[in-house]
Order: sequence, then C-alpha cells, then structure tokens
Amino acid sequence: MKIKSTRFGQLDVEEGQILHFPNGIPGFLDEKDFVHIPHEVGSPFSFLQSTTEANLSFLLVEPFAFINDYEFVLEDKVAKELELSQENPPQVFLIATVKEKVTDMTVNLLAPLIMNGVKRIGRQVILDKPEYSIRHKLIPEATSPTEIAKGGL
Amino acid sequence: MLALTRKVGERIVIGDDIVVTIVGVKGDSIRITVDAPKEVKIYRGEIYDAIAAENKQAAAPSDLSELDNLKGLRLKK
Repeated sequence: MKIKSTRFGQLDVEEGQILHFPNGIPGFLDEKDFVHIPHEVGSPFSFLQSTTEANLSFLLVEPFAFINDYEFVLEDKVAKELELSQENPPQVFLIATVKEKVTDMTVNLLAPLIMNGVKRIGRQVILDKPEYSIRHKLIPEATSPTEIAKGGL
Repeated sequence: MLALTRKVGERIVIGDDIVVTIVGVKGDSIRITVDAPKEVKIYRGEIYDAIAAENKQAAAPSDLSELDNLKGLRLKK
C-alpha cells in the first residue's frame, strides 16, 4: 500500500506494518492508522506517520533512553484493550514537540503512546501523574554541544 | 445532555456505581467528590484539551535536519 508523507515522500508499506489506533489520538481522533518509522539504527527517535494524512507525522522518543525514573502503572483495562501480555510487552514512546531548535525539544511525559508491536495496536494514555509535565525539556539546559556530540547527558 | 441543579450535600448517581457529590461552593468554585470504580478514568477537562493541543503542536511541521546529531544521545547510567 502506498502512503504519501510530507516528511518521507512516498512510502510503500505492507498491510502488516500498519499500526491501528482504534481511538485515534487526542486532537486527531479520525486518524486511526499509522506507520512507525525508525530514525536510524540505535537511535532513540522514531516517527509515526499517518497513512491518510501526508502532513501528519509525529516525532517519537524512547523515554527510557533519557528519563531515569520514568514509570507508571498501566491500567488493566488498557493492557487488555491492547492485548498486552508477557509475550507481547508494551512499547512506550513519548510524543516530542520541536518548535525551533531540535535540542530544545519537549516531550509529553503525561500522555505516552503505548503500543503492542506484535498485534499492531496502540493508544495514547493519560497517566494519573500530575507531577509529569506535558512539556518536559528532553535535553537539560546545561548540556553542552560537546556533551551532545559525545552522546551523554 | 442532562442539566440539573443540585444543592451542597446532594448527589448525582450515574449508572450503578458512580456517585458525584457536591461538597461545597465558594465563589465560582464548586468542590465535588466522585466515587467511581477504579477502572473508570476521571480527569479534569482541561488536561484532555491540553494534550490534544500539545499533539497539534507536535504535529506542526518542524525542521528536524539536526536530529541526526542526537541519535547517539543517551542518559549516562
């Protein structure tokens, strides 16, 4: 199946690579089908591209690469809905917002994306954690460009 | 949509297991308690709106040409 993407150009995707978000994503409730596109091997970044809206893609970040103690309890209802199990553990991603500089990007800690990569379903959940910010700066202000180049935070 | 008036101390029962009680009114703030099963998600309306708004921001076109410089970035353990 061919997908048009403003960011990636034309993509040729197998039906089995499509990720279904049965509830859509808040702000885009009609968008239910996406493709998850890795950034580069070993990169903590990836992209979620809508299959129907060429302009709609999200930059995703693996939280555990950056945030030391990021944790939450997934509700049974969500685990069931996403058919998660010991064999199908959840994949967790944060949606990133880049306004100007990439190094100033923020991530939404309060509403991670939870995906079942085997069953190809996902949803954005809102955590019961008021201490988690919707706009958490991913790279601390004090991190120098040299540190970034070396790959440490 | 149902609209109704309640007094302080009065309750609204939704279905079999959700009870909303008005506990107090102070100026334009109303304090309520919600008794609901654990699996029922309850959040303030503005949190959902804030997440939808942030998703829209996140989807706005941005220049990611420098993302490659960050691909090796990791928290130091």
